[in-house]
Amino acid sequence: MNDIKTFLISPHVLAQEVGEEIVLLDLNSDTYFGLDATGSRIWRLVKEGKDLDEICEALFNEYDASREDLERDTALLTQELIACGLLRQA
Amino acid sequence: MAEFEVLATRLQAPLHRSPFYEWTFPDGTLGTAFYRIETGYLLRFPDLADFEVAADGLSVICFPAPHVQDATPEHLYLNQVLPLILSKIGKFVFHASAVEVANGAVAFVAQSGRGKSTMAANFVANGYRLLTDDGLVLEPSDQGYLVIPSHPSIRLWEDSQKMVLARNTEAAPPLHFTSKTRFLAGPGLPYCDQPRPLRAVYFLGDGSAQDIIFRRLSPAETLVGWTKNSFLLDVEDRAMMSAHFDRVGALANTLACYHLDYPRRFDDLNRLLRAILDHVATESLRI
Repeated sequence: MNDIKTFLISPHVLAQEVGEEIVLLDLNSDTYFGLDATGSRIWRLVKEGKDLDEICEALFNEYDASREDLERDTALLTQELIACGLLRQA
Repeated sequence: MAEFEVLATRLQAPLHRSPFYEWTFPDGTLGTAFYRIETGYLLRFPDLADFEVAADGLSVICFPAPHVQDATPEHLYLNQVLPLILSKIGKFVFHASAVEVANGAVAFVAQSGRGKSTMAANFVANGYRLLTDDGLVLEPSDQGYLVIPSHPSIRLWEDSQKMVLARNTEAAPPLHFTSKTRFLAGPGLPYCDQPRPLRAVYFLGDGSAQDIIFRRLSPAETLVGWTKNSFLLDVEDRAMMSAHFDRVGALANTLACYHLDYPRRFDDLNRLLRAILDHVATESLRI
């Protein structure tokens, strides 16, 4: 799973931006997930078709954080989204 | 509005297919099973009635189960089927009651059993007019969202009836499958038959609070709350679900909503009413 670098949003997932957050609804399980502001930014980059390296590059240009931290956090979030069935490998 | 017809009684024969969705009561018993049929949908209320709804939602045929009371089809139609049909034809329908207050309406959103009817009845008992007991219909307008009046009646458990309604309030005939009684609009139950702009929205808690508590919900909490409390006929219709989620997202981004919890004590209803009216007067609905 750690090697996955390209992503697709699962077809059974709806996303809605509210305030600074994104709420995901998994229609298969009728389960809701919330993404904070950074998670929402990553989701939008995935939606734009960006791969893991491109997402990390974009975040590095936008956030005051080390590249190493951003790469670790992005990998963790995308792995979790894949584990929950919200994303899959492109 | 949909055409509604009640035909002769019919046994509820097995359908040899699985329902695509089910409603269950808080105690886990099946309330309604949703099936697909050639002409649209079949909604089965076990031992009570089958409702065949056309695919476009514009016509409904009811087949009562043998031996049910004459009033059963209309009762189920008004409470359960009609809100689902309205959702199918593009209306915005929620599990919520609403009453008229100064300059608008207040809505109380909650799943079954959390007291939204008792809340509405308490307002009515204090001279405020009922807009809807459940199946809240909202329509976007130049004034924000409008609350559209629904059936001029309210359904209450026996304990709520005694506490909040006037003795002369007219009741519909009792039904064997529910201990709730439907009370009809009249002198003891004032009803507002005109749309009113939505002034405030409260999502009712589970009653675990020790005192009256208001908490502003985040837009994300509001989105989830509205979505979970939506009437939707076909939850497998992905295009409809996507459009509905977008519309609820717009609602959540527009309206500030509140969580409201309070001890469920009849002797404290007047204090609760005053607290809500004070809150409505001081808090803004707009984000």
